[in-house]
Parts: sequence; structure tokens; C-alpha cells
Amino acid sequence: MYIHKTYCISPQQDPLQADINLLNEPVNKKLLAIEPSYKKIPPGILRRMGKSVRMGVGTALPLMDKEKSVDGIIIGSANAGMDECINFLIQIVDYEEGQLTPGNFVQSTGNVIAGQLGMISKNKGYNITHVHMGLAFENALIDALMQLNANPTNTYLLGGVDEIPPYQYNIETLNDAYKKEDISNKVLYESDSSGCLPGEGAAMFVVHAEKDGAIANVKAIHTVHTNDVDLVKQQLQLFLQKNMEAEEAIDLLISGENGDKLTLPFYTACESLLNADTAVVRFKHLCGEYATASTIGLWYACQFLQNQEIPSHMLKKESSNKKYRNILMYNNFKGGQHSFMLVSGI
Amino acid sequence: MSRIFITGMGVISAIGNSVAENHLALKAGVCGVKKGLDLFPSKYAALLPFGQVQISSAELLKKLNITESGVTRTSILALHAFNEAVHAAGISAEDISSSETAMVGANTVGGMCLTDELYNDANTKETGSEYTSSYDCASVNLFLQRHNNMLGIINSINTACSSSANAIMYGAMLMQNGYAKRAIVGGTDSLAKFTINGFNALHILSSDNCTPFDEGRKGLNLGEGAAFLVLEKEEDLNGKKVYAELTGFCNSNDAYHPSSISDDGFGPYLAMKGALKLANLTADKIDFINAHGTATENNDETESRAMIRLFVNPPAFASTKANIGHTLGAAGAIEAVYSILSLINQELYPNLHFKKSILATGLTPVLEYKKQTVNHVMSNSFGFGGNCSSLIFSKV
Repeated sequence: MYIHKTYCISPQQDPLQADINLLNEPVNKKLLAIEPSYKKIPPGILRRMGKSVRMGVGTALPLMDKEKSVDGIIIGSANAGMDECINFLIQIVDYEEGQLTPGNFVQSTGNVIAGQLGMISKNKGYNITHVHMGLAFENALIDALMQLNANPTNTYLLGGVDEIPPYQYNIETLNDAYKKEDISNKVLYESDSSGCLPGEGAAMFVVHAEKDGAIANVKAIHTVHTNDVDLVKQQLQLFLQKNMEAEEAIDLLISGENGDKLTLPFYTACESLLNADTAVVRFKHLCGEYATASTIGLWYACQFLQNQEIPSHMLKKESSNKKYRNILMYNNFKGGQHSFMLVSGI
Repeated sequence: MSRIFITGMGVISAIGNSVAENHLALKAGVCGVKKGLDLFPSKYAALLPFGQVQISSAELLKKLNITESGVTRTSILALHAFNEAVHAAGISAEDISSSETAMVGANTVGGMCLTDELYNDANTKETGSEYTSSYDCASVNLFLQRHNNMLGIINSINTACSSSANAIMYGAMLMQNGYAKRAIVGGTDSLAKFTINGFNALHILSSDNCTPFDEGRKGLNLGEGAAFLVLEKEEDLNGKKVYAELTGFCNSNDAYHPSSISDDGFGPYLAMKGALKLANLTADKIDFINAHGTATENNDETESRAMIRLFVNPPAFASTKANIGHTLGAAGAIEAVYSILSLINQELYPNLHFKKSILATGLTPVLEYKKQTVNHVMSNSFGFGGNCSSLIFSKV
């Protein structure tokens, strides 16, 4: 599957900002996405959208505009519409099941981003929303691979979106998901506490089976649910054996490391399997942690393949080999949902 | 492409806690939709009829031997149907755990059936309930994954009321693309104040029993339940019992309105047409359509128009929404089970409470239980966001 166009919204004005001093820092312990003005979304529709819907639709429309119309829309989002759900539910309780306006309810279905995109772009093709938490985007990507296999001449819009909705933030705080202390994203990986720095964002990709003019080739993906570090290590070994030629090597590992001491052992274990010449890059200090953060990880993979340049604050480990062709991304969500992606240059 | 067969199925709904109980109730035309909801206090409990599963959450937890905390009704309905399906297919615990077994589940409510707990947790009113990790839709399938120690691909799909039809489709595609040897696919949803008040705010809940495809229909009834199917490939059957073949599927978007279908039902038309194409069948080969048939003014007329456009003279059709209510994220999977029951038993079940054809379209659904040759059944599911999906099951 070849990626031809990408676009993203993230907490950084310039997601490839080379100067660490110019990075946006967390506000109230959250890395909030910087939203553009969304000129392509009709104002009447924009007003009714929650943030994740705005980000999703706002990231997708510029790509759909430039491209010939896509044949289907495949979205991964763990929590799209969730805050509208809770908002509606709170009205139910506060007004004791009185007469409520249906707006929040209609906007609350998890498929609202793909649904709105279908409606706005009059796209009657394949339309689906994967919501499997930390593997929502990975399942969307597998879906895109399968759709292209069945329909090799088609073009698909593939993307992942999540926000930090206020109510969800409260619930995740009760779950001890976040760091309790104030921490700068510039020193995120020096943290030895548990919990992550919450973030949000959206990235979209136009994908098809045609190689010409592509930015990147998504060669393989694997997902697994486990809390066992050794099993993850073993699965990565199998994944590399199965998908890499003997003479090939991974030039760059994009690691989902997020400053949480509880998930660090998984990342360390995966790094240990790669050879001395593999560079290691981290990106969660730029976008924070969220269920579909691997979407931005894939966006970074595309940029590195295209530009062959990596901001130094992203590099955990440099390599003597400065040519990046084969990229492996390893990410996990809450230490239980793991994914490996293999992305190569053209 | 490998041929995909259904080798096991399980269902729980307002008309029974197993495939056998649901089958008997469908034959007898039992309506499980009644006033007197007692799952939670609601001002609508006495006013509106609901298709409530006749077993309490506490009883179900005990029956399933679940001792961990934070498990929602949505999850245990799912586990109940999941267990029946894998048992029927004769899949061992080892096979379920295998990295070659995928599981794809759909739901729309997740743990939002727990109104008061979610209210308090979202407002951080207390230290947190036992359900803080159980509100989202994925939590149901993460529970099933944990409970069965599954290593294969796990996914959760939410395309509103067409969710579990898409879960079945995604499972079949995983198998055809070599991501899984077998797939356990389905959907679940439990009754919730959230959906009751949501559909009520849209003014599409009927205060009486719903009447699918009837000129005088006044809206839908909500229900709850779950269903799972075990999908296996032709080459792995080794002579085991097969219920039906999944021959066609298609997902299209109506691209018209967030909560209603276009007047000419173009999305439903495209989904049905696409499923026929994949199954390599002409329209006249379909013997029966398990219609979406929610009994809302919008759905039944637009679905009728789409059927007329595609089939000209539509085959026998019926909706089971009057039997069990609209089970939202579970509907596509439950109706897949019902479609397969028609194929196995060569019979059709009556569309309850129908009186008079819709004037504009003039179609009459199946009104009585009858024995008939059934080779191919189409099952429709349409949802908010314009999501339309059709599946075709064929006799083996």
C-alpha cells in the first residue's frame, strides 16, 4: 500500500520544528492540538462539531480536495463523539430525562467523522470507523490494505483522530493514566514516574496501490494484545523474520516511548532487538499520548522518508548510516495493545 | 479468495437466551417487546415498550462465572453469545487463544448503560467507580480478549446501527487476506438511558409496539442483545457441521444526512447491489430479505424504495425489529443468526404487527410462518452517519 498524500493537525505549529526551544509545551498538563481555521468546512456544520470531528474532517478535506475523489473513507478513532455522549448523558441526569435536544446525541456516534466526511464530500463508497482504542488506527490501516487488495484500482482516505475531551480526561485521571506532576515535554523521557502526558491530534493519508509518485510504502503491520514483555519481543522477531529480506536492515525505529516508566520496558526490549546501526526516534514529546498517536507516528515516517532529515531532539540514538529507507514503528497503548509497522521509501 | 462458512453461532435477545430459544420464538411469532423495563429506573419504563433480555446482570455474571470487577451488561451479553457460538463450532480454548483466531466485535453503547456511574466518574465526583475503564466501545472486546487470552487480531467497530454487519464483513476479509485462519465476529448492545433519551429526543420512539413496513408505523422500539458467529474457511472445515456460507457483503454510504436516509434510499441500494455483485448473484436469486425495517417513517419507506429499485418485484422480506426491538450495534449480528435459521430450516418468520402496506411503495412483508425453499438470504443494516451494509448468506 502506497501513501501518496498526508496532512496532520498536532499540538505543534510545526510538527518538524528543529529547535527544541520553539516547541509548544503542555498547558495545564495537556498537549492540546493547534487547530487551523478550517476554511473548507461549511460554517453551519463546523459550529456543531466537537473538536475531534473538526480535526478529523479538517485534516481530511484538504487531501480530498487536491486528489481525485477517493473510493472510500476508513477512520480509526478511539473516542470520537465520546464527550458529546457524556454531555448528553449529563443532560439526561440533570434534567431528569426531560425534553432534550437531539444535537449532542446525533453528534455522539463513534462514526461521526467518517459519516460527516461522506456527507460533506458526497462520497458514497466504503465508509467505516474502527474504535478499538489503542489499535483503532492499526485496524483502519489493515482495513485499507485489505480494501486495496480487493480493489487494486481504488484510492482510499485513511486516518486516525483523537482529542483529550474534558470528561474523558477526568475519567482517565481516575484511572491514573496521566502524570501527576507538571512536566515539560522537553524533558519527557527523563521522567521516572508512571503515567503519560496526554495529547491529541489527527493525521490523514491518501493511499492506493500505485507506486508512481508515492511518498512511502506500508509493507506490513502486526498487532497483539498482551502484558508480557517477552511475548512482544518474540512477536517482533517473528514480524521482522517474516517481512524483511535477509540482506535488508531496519535503518530507523520510530518508538512510541512516552515517558511512562510502566511501559518503558516494552520499548527497551524492542530496541534491544535491532542492530547497532539502527537510529531510534521518539515523537510523543511533540504530540503527547493518545489512543491513535501511532497515526502521527506514521505521518513522521512519511516525512523522514521524504526529507531524510530528523530534528535532533527527536533522535534517541543516531546511526552512522544517515540514509533512512526501512522504518519500523513500534507503539503500545497502556502496555496492553501493541503494534509493529514496517514502512519503506520508494 | 477462500469461501467463508459459518460453523457456529450464538444469540441472546428479548425472545430467548440461545439460538434454540430464539428459533422457537421466531416460529411462534413471539413479541418480546414490552412495557415495564426494570434494568434501571427511567421515566420511560412504564411509558414505552422495550425488548429487554429476560435475565438480570447479576444473574448473568454468576452464570458466566465472572468475578472480576467493572464488567458491564454490554460485555456479559456479548460473552454469553460468544460462548454459545464457539461451543457450537467446537472450537477449543487453545484455538480461541491462537494468534490465528481473530475477534471482531461491534457495539455502540459500551458501558454507557451505567448512567449514574458515568455521570459521577466524568465529573470526578468520587474516587472513581469500578467501571472507569469500561465506558468506551472497545472495552467490551478488550474484556472478551482478556477473558479468552486471545492473541490474534482483535477489533471493535462502530458504524452505529450497521456496526455488527461491518464486524462480520471485516472478519471475513481478515481471513481472505491471510490475517486470520478463523474469526469470531458479532455485536452487542444493552439498553441504556443514553439511547432511550437520544432516540426519544429525535422523536422516533413509538409508544406502542413497533409495526415495521406498516403504513401507520409510529417509530421504533429499542431492544438489547448480542450475537456472535464463528467463521471458518472451506479448507479448514474437515467435515465439521456448517450452518451457511457468507457469500456477499458490501458497505456503502448514503452521504445524505447524519440521522436519516435519502428519499430514494441510494445508500441502501448501493449496499444491496454491491453484496449481490460480490456473491456473483443476480437479484432474482435472493429468496428472502431480512430487512433493516426499524419501523421509523424514514427507514421503512426508503428501504422499500431501494428494494423496488434493485429487485423491481422484491422477494419475500420481513423485519424482526417487532420481535426483539432495535438492538443497534447487535442488530446486524442477531439478524445474521435469524437469516441463517431461515436457511437451515427452509422457512420464513412473520413480520409482526403489520396491518397495511405503505401507500407510496405498496409492499407487504411475510405475515405468517411458512416453509419455503430458501437458498440465498440478504440481511440489511443501516445506521446514522449514512452507513449502509448488506450481507448475503447462502444455503450449503
